[in-house]
Amino acid sequence: MARIEINHVTKQFGSLTALDSVALKLEKGQIVGLLGPNGSGKTTLIKILNGLLQPTAGNVTINGMEPGVGTKRVVAYLPDRNALPDYMTSSQLMDIYQDFFEDFDRQKAEAMVDDLGIDRSQTMKKMSKGTKEKLQLCLVMARQAEVYLLDEPIGGVDPATRDYILRTIISNYNEDAVVIISTHLIADVESVLDDVVFIKEGRVVLHKAADEIREEKGESVDKLFREVFKC
Amino acid sequence: MLGKLLKYEIPAMGRKLVPLYAAWAATALFLGLATQSSDSKTEFMVVISALLYTAVATAIFVMTIILIVQRYSNSLLGDEAYFNHVLPVSVTAHIGNKAISATLWIFVTVLVAILTGILIAIGATIVSSDVGFIELIRDLISVQIDWPEHIGIYIIEVLLMVVAGVVKTIMQIYAAITIGHQAQNRTTLASIGAYIAIMVFESTVGRMLLPLFDKLITFDADSFQNFSRIAIIAIIAAAAFSVIYFFICKYLMEKRLNLN
Repeated sequence: MARIEINHVTKQFGSLTALDSVALKLEKGQIVGLLGPNGSGKTTLIKILNGLLQPTAGNVTINGMEPGVGTKRVVAYLPDRNALPDYMTSSQLMDIYQDFFEDFDRQKAEAMVDDLGIDRSQTMKKMSKGTKEKLQLCLVMARQAEVYLLDEPIGGVDPATRDYILRTIISNYNEDAVVIISTHLIADVESVLDDVVFIKEGRVVLHKAADEIREEKGESVDKLFREVFKC
Repeated sequence: MLGKLLKYEIPAMGRKLVPLYAAWAATALFLGLATQSSDSKTEFMVVISALLYTAVATAIFVMTIILIVQRYSNSLLGDEAYFNHVLPVSVTAHIGNKAISATLWIFVTVLVAILTGILIAIGATIVSSDVGFIELIRDLISVQIDWPEHIGIYIIEVLLMVVAGVVKTIMQIYAAITIGHQAQNRTTLASIGAYIAIMVFESTVGRMLLPLFDKLITFDADSFQNFSRIAIIAIIAAAAFSVIYFFICKYLMEKRLNLN
C-alpha cells in the first residue's frame, strides 16, 4: 500500500475541469515536487488530499484511509494562504498545535521561530505577510508527520528565507514521511526533489524521479519544465 | 477534543464582548447616578446617559449575533477553515464547539443585561440618603410573596424552553450559512435565501403540528398542566429542529465541503 494513492480523481467547478482523472501513487521516503504553472490544479489536488475539497469523481487515500480524522493526525498541511487566527501570538499558536497534534515538537518550533527572528509575543495581525508565512511553515515543519503537504512554501519569502525553508524541509524529512511541495519556482526547489510530477491543465503529464529526468533528458528539471509549459 | 476546541473558542468571542460589557456596566452606573437629582441640568444628563446605555445595549446584542455568524463562517467555511478542518477533530465536535460557545455567550449577555439593571439601581441609591441600596434589597427580601404551587417546575420548564429556543436559533443560522456556502458565488445572498427557506419550513411544520396542541390543551386540566404540556412540546420541537439543522451542517461539511 502506497502512502498516498490518488485514484482517477476528477474535480469540476461548474464547467471548468480543474483535475482530469489524476492517478498517482506516492511512496514514503521521498520529497515530491508537484510542479505546474498557476491554475494547473496543484492546489486543488492538495486540498482534496486534505479533505477541504471533495472530488467530483475518483478518490484519494492516505495510509489506506480516505481523508478524515485518521488522516489529519498524520498529515501536516501548509496552505497557500494565512489560515491562522490573526489575533493570536506565535506562542499561543504553538499552544494550539501542542494541544491538537501529538507529533508536534514544541522545542523544535521555538528554535525555528527564534532562528527566523519571529517575535513570539507578536500577534499575527501585526506580522508582515512574509513573517506569517514563515511562522506557518515553522508550525507545520515542527511536526513529525507522515505526510507533509506544502502548498507554495517559498512563494512569498525572500531568497535567504527560501534557503532556510528548504534546509528545514530536508532536515525534518525522515524515511517514514513523504513530502509534497507544490510550486512553480522549480529552480529553487530542484535540488531537494527526489520525485517530480508535472501537472498541466488538470492532467499529470509526467511522473519521474528527478535523477532519471536529468540522466534521460540530459537537462535540469527546471529546463524541462520550461519546455513542457512553454507559452 | 471538544474541550480543547472550547478552550480556544470561548475566549475568542470573549475578547470582543468583555470590553463591551465593561462599557455597558459603566454606562449603567452613570445612568443610575444621573437619576439621583432632579434639577434641569441632571435631567439632561439622564436623557444623555439613557441614550448612551440604550446604544451600548443595542450594540452588544447586535455584536453578539454578528460574532456568532462570523465565528462560524470564518472558522469553518472561510480562511481559518484551512486550519480548523485539518485539525484531527470530527465535524460533530467543530459544530458542537461553535454552538456551545454561542449559547454560552448569549446567556452571558443576558446575565450582564440583568447586572446592568442592578448597577442602575445601585447608582440611583448609592448617594441618596432616602433609600440605600442595601435597604432596598432588604425590603425586597422581606416582602412576603405568595408563590404559586409548582413554581420550581415552572421555572425549570421556562429555562429549558429558553435554552432549547436559543440553541435552535443558533443551529438555524449555522444551517443557513452552511447551505449558502454550497453556492459557488454570492454565498451571503444564498445564506439569506437558505435562512428564509428554513423559516418557511419551520412554520409549515408548526402549522401541521397545531392540531396536536389543540388536543393536548384541555379545559378540564388546570393551567399548570396545560402550561407544562405546551412547554414540553415546545422543548421537543426546538430540540428536533436543532437536530435536523445539526445533521444538515454535518452532512454538508463532511460530504460536500468545498473551500475555495
